[in-house]
Amino acid sequence: MRRLSLVHRVGLVAGGVAALVGILFVAALFAILSLRHAESRESHSSDVTVATLRVRTLSADLESSLRGYVLSANPRFLALFRDARARVPGDVSHLRSLVHDDPPQRVRAASVAGELHAYLLDYAENVITIAQFSRAAARGPAAGSEGKRRIDEINGTLDGLLAAENQRTHRASAHAQSVTNVAVAVGIGAIVVSSALVLLFGAWVARAVARPVRRVAAAAADVAAGDLTVRLEGGGAAEVAALVTAFNSMTGSLELGRHQLLEQNEQLREGERHKRDLISMVSHELRTPLAAVLGFTALLLERDFPPDEQRRYLEIIDTQARRLAALAGDFLDVQLLAGGDLTLVLTSFDLVELVREQAQLFFLEPSSHHLVLDVPGEPLVIEGDRDRLSQVVGNLLSNAIKYSPQGEEVRVSVRSVGDDAIVAVADDGIGIDREDAAHVFEQFFRAADAAATVGGTGLGLAVARDIVTSHDGTLEVESTPGVGSTFVLSLPLGARRAVVGAEQNAPSRQ
Amino acid sequence: MTVEQADDRPRVLVVDDEAPLRELIVVTLGDGFLCEEVSDGETALARLRESPPDLVFLDVMLPGLGGIDVLKEIRADPALSDIGVVVVSAWQAQADIAVALESGADSFLPKPFLVEELLSIAEELAGRRR
Repeated sequence: MRRLSLVHRVGLVAGGVAALVGILFVAALFAILSLRHAESRESHSSDVTVATLRVRTLSADLESSLRGYVLSANPRFLALFRDARARVPGDVSHLRSLVHDDPPQRVRAASVAGELHAYLLDYAENVITIAQFSRAAARGPAAGSEGKRRIDEINGTLDGLLAAENQRTHRASAHAQSVTNVAVAVGIGAIVVSSALVLLFGAWVARAVARPVRRVAAAAADVAAGDLTVRLEGGGAAEVAALVTAFNSMTGSLELGRHQLLEQNEQLREGERHKRDLISMVSHELRTPLAAVLGFTALLLERDFPPDEQRRYLEIIDTQARRLAALAGDFLDVQLLAGGDLTLVLTSFDLVELVREQAQLFFLEPSSHHLVLDVPGEPLVIEGDRDRLSQVVGNLLSNAIKYSPQGEEVRVSVRSVGDDAIVAVADDGIGIDREDAAHVFEQFFRAADAAATVGGTGLGLAVARDIVTSHDGTLEVESTPGVGSTFVLSLPLGARRAVVGAEQNAPSRQ
Repeated sequence: MTVEQADDRPRVLVVDDEAPLRELIVVTLGDGFLCEEVSDGETALARLRESPPDLVFLDVMLPGLGGIDVLKEIRADPALSDIGVVVVSAWQAQADIAVALESGADSFLPKPFLVEELLSIAEELAGRRR
């Protein structure tokens, strides 16, 4: 789910507040309209009331002027009656037009019109005619009660009309009141909800912004104090989440950087240890042959020996001096290999011949160990650096002699398997346990048993493995502690793939 | 090397896995000492118990049982405890020398050594036993 940004959230809340304020305005507008409606209704009702009262006055005028004329026979009363009668159509039709929209009132107004009409035609005109002929008959009780009955009927209908109009006005104003009440309630509610929303939003902003900022500040203080493992938990608005992500990636890369520095430091320290080991090993390894060289030289200089003994001691000096030279060569090789400066001088040569040569060199008669050599009759031609590969085979032979008891067999075989030439050197020596076998090709590694008993630099096999690898070959060991070890050297037969590259670099070579 | 029963020269056992070093010690000691050579710790102990010499030149780094272990065996055995032991080693840091002396060596000879130094140590220890 995508996190909403603070800007979006503020927008949403503002929209909510605006909607509530809108509801407030609509409610207020509705209340105002309702009040206006009630007001116009009220003024219409008062118009109706006025018109009704006018008709009532009219009916009273008609009745009193008629009665006056009958009692006094004064023509002034007759003129008043005629005058009132002339107003009847206008006033009645005014009232009828006012209540035209209101069916029950319209019915009442119509019946008022009908009753007035009946009063005038069926009663008043007859009474006037009778009075002109017989004043006494017109003044009789029957005529008087009939007139009163008709007028009362008209007034009753008019009262009904008035009462209905009053009731209507009252209902309209009550409705306007209740609408106003609802509008006020809605308005107050909207204000309360808006205020609550604004307050809540403020609190939320404080929570969503201030709290993560405080957390980041605290974490930054931890980082400043050196704790680079600090990580913040995600959450909150998009901006806060982005800040948290940036912070975490910052501490992550700081930690990684520190880890790399520590690792480099450790590597440097490891290198330093190696160098110390090398110096210590060099001084130790040089001392034994040096002791022989210096000792025999001093003896030869100080004492007289028979010629054959002199010769023997000189031979020892020669051998030990060569050993010193070989050691110096090993150390140089290690330096070259470590610096990647080893250059191979490539030639095609017979591997069988090389192995035979080295075997003769290491198993000079009389030899401490018995050599069993198993090589094919035909040559196995490979391309490589002959001197370097001689060094490798020589190293394997000298190890076999060094790490197996005197008089034991050392079995050396050469054969071709597929596209590879295989040289195997097997001894019946102290062997190497599984754990150590994994490390024998590492610089300065010496199996615990070997280190305690047999002199060595811990460099020979490391150098040998590097040389073989640079020939695209492999050097492996199989060993059983107490039974013996077999080192297997495998080199590609014929022209090497690397030579193709060399030809491209050196076009003069065909 | 033949052992002559009637010989009264100090008898020396040279223990070193490096043949040229054994030969150097033997030739340096010369005719004044009756020398025997062995190349490992087990054989050395067997020879010592069979026929205790006056003096042992003991290399530290030996196949099998190491030189310091041989020295401890010598000092632990009442029949051998008074044999003079010279520890000869190419390891010659202070710590290596201290280990040799604490384990009961009479002397420590670093490789390479001076011919005269070896001779004088041998004569002193042999003379002390006489």
